[in-house]
Amino acid sequence: MASRVLTIAMLCAAVQLTGCAAFRNYDGELQQTNQHLSSGNVDAALALLEKNNTGEDKDLLYYFEKGELLRSKGDLAGSQTAWREADSVVFKWEESVKLDTDKYLGQFGSYLVNDKVRRYEGYDYEKVMLTTQMALNLLAQNDFDGARTEIKKTHEREAVIAELRDKEYLKREEQAEKEGVHTEYKDLKGYPVAALDAPEVVGLKNSYQSAFSHYLSGFVYEALGEKGLAAPGYRKAAELRPNTPLLEQALTELDKTPAKNAGSDVLIVVQSGLAPSRDSVRIPLPLPISGNLVITPLSFPIIKEDTSTPHFAQIELDRKPLNLTALNSTTAMSRRALRDDMPGIILRTSVRAISRGVAQKQINDVNPLAGLAVGLASAITEGADTRTWRTLPDATQVARVRLSQGEHVLNLPSNLGGTQVKVNIDRPYQVVTVRVVGNRVFAGGPALQVETPPAAQSVATLK
Amino acid sequence: MMFARFSLLAVVVALASGCANNSPVLGGKNIGYGDTKAVELVTNEFGSTDLQMIAESMTRSLAQSGILQGRPVVQVYDVKNKTSEYIDTREITTSIKTQLMKSGTARFSSDNTQMQSQVDQLKLQNQSGLYKKNTVAKTGNMIAAKYRLEGSISSIVKRSSDYKDVFYKFSLQLIDVESGLAEWMDEKEIRKTTER
Repeated sequence: MASRVLTIAMLCAAVQLTGCAAFRNYDGELQQTNQHLSSGNVDAALALLEKNNTGEDKDLLYYFEKGELLRSKGDLAGSQTAWREADSVVFKWEESVKLDTDKYLGQFGSYLVNDKVRRYEGYDYEKVMLTTQMALNLLAQNDFDGARTEIKKTHEREAVIAELRDKEYLKREEQAEKEGVHTEYKDLKGYPVAALDAPEVVGLKNSYQSAFSHYLSGFVYEALGEKGLAAPGYRKAAELRPNTPLLEQALTELDKTPAKNAGSDVLIVVQSGLAPSRDSVRIPLPLPISGNLVITPLSFPIIKEDTSTPHFAQIELDRKPLNLTALNSTTAMSRRALRDDMPGIILRTSVRAISRGVAQKQINDVNPLAGLAVGLASAITEGADTRTWRTLPDATQVARVRLSQGEHVLNLPSNLGGTQVKVNIDRPYQVVTVRVVGNRVFAGGPALQVETPPAAQSVATLK
Repeated sequence: MMFARFSLLAVVVALASGCANNSPVLGGKNIGYGDTKAVELVTNEFGSTDLQMIAESMTRSLAQSGILQGRPVVQVYDVKNKTSEYIDTREITTSIKTQLMKSGTARFSSDNTQMQSQVDQLKLQNQSGLYKKNTVAKTGNMIAAKYRLEGSISSIVKRSSDYKDVFYKFSLQLIDVESGLAEWMDEKEIRKTTER
């Protein structure tokens, strides 16, 4: 009787669990949302996001995506409000880490809970990009003082992350030693190892420091006349992306006396594409369960690059070609984050599978039906965590130019629809941000106006 | 008589104790005010104690050098940040400036950042026609600096798997504007080591 009750309870628990975060198909949800975004229908994308997040208690991802969608729509105030919510979630995380790092690491390293059942707390690079994107929103409205606050927050947050990861990697090595798990991601047969070992991934100093964030902070501090703070911004960016003339030039130009003419220093920021998605792959690993080596299929995350937007490295400014310098790749950062997390993921997944295997064997010996229920439940719950901020731009490229005050015209490459953006320059320092998804161009703020290209118009009339 | 004297003393003590700050405290489970001069060793990045140490040592050295006779006018330039750390070097010079000003050893002319506001205000007073003539500040009366104060901060960071060592060097110099001669110079070195 007792065993039957146990079986029913197990099955109930399995059914209950299907309603929770563990079974949310985030990739599926966001594929549709992003399709709406790439076709220029931001309202439909927003409606879908709301439909998929009807609960009272919204998570960090909801605010991440909402902020980016509203930004694409041109609603900069709404975007800031959504991102403020996300920022307060990250702030709480930051406080918990600062107050008791060991306790945080202890909870995170827990073997009992599958990663995808945890409340989403964001990848490190997402936390850094959040305040960078918030600064861009404010800069679109020429609010340099507001942007300064976001930028200061970015580098303070970066310091907290650096300290935490230092401790985490040390602790993980000790735990792996203790648990006797020595598998590395390179040992996983069938796992796309090359993607994690690509030069642009290995070449990054870590997963969270962005050359673009630091370059932008240099520009903002320079605009505010704080050269003492602008210098480390440019210097850090140059350290993160060595041999980039744009960054080295920023440092040398900083010490020169500014030109006396009435022109403006303009930073053109082109953000294109979408952040990569995460998927789950099953790879069989031999695990020691009750004294025998049992081949057990385990789930691991993989990164899938977004292909919605073609790569480009040049735009036109006032009908003349303008080369862009790539300063940020979310795909590379995301791969680097996974590369750094993999030892921890392998450790947690293996230890969980071993303890589950042992428990299942014990129940099986007593009651095969209950054993089956446990096996069923674990088969459903096991799967890699595929949640990640998906509307975040993939590539961030910049160009710094000196322009006369007045109206100027930016043209995107013809393979992206050749959209024209009118830019009004009226400040000594200005940041102009353009977002490209598919062949759609989004730009917000009082200085920018996106003109629908003639080709798109004719397509629209044909319909 | 003796009793009266003791009573009086007791009353004085009681009154005096009443002078202590008895403002009510709201909340504050894990929050408290700390000593602003307490040595801060939270991380080995540039911190409040470093800022205070540099400002104090530079002010003392400059005030005792004997250069600043007759409260000369000094213009403070930005301290060049040669490190990769976001150190607000202007806060260091502001501290030095405040301490020198409070001790009455020097006067300071508008620096780069304040100059624009100063010019704007003069223009407003003289060109807008909004102000009473006899209260308007006349142009051409600003006092030029005799000296300029400038400096730099640099760092050397070394890491191994067990240690992180950061060495800061802050140097400051006072230059006579007319002659171009450096009249005073000093530096402050700070070493911070963390064992992991």
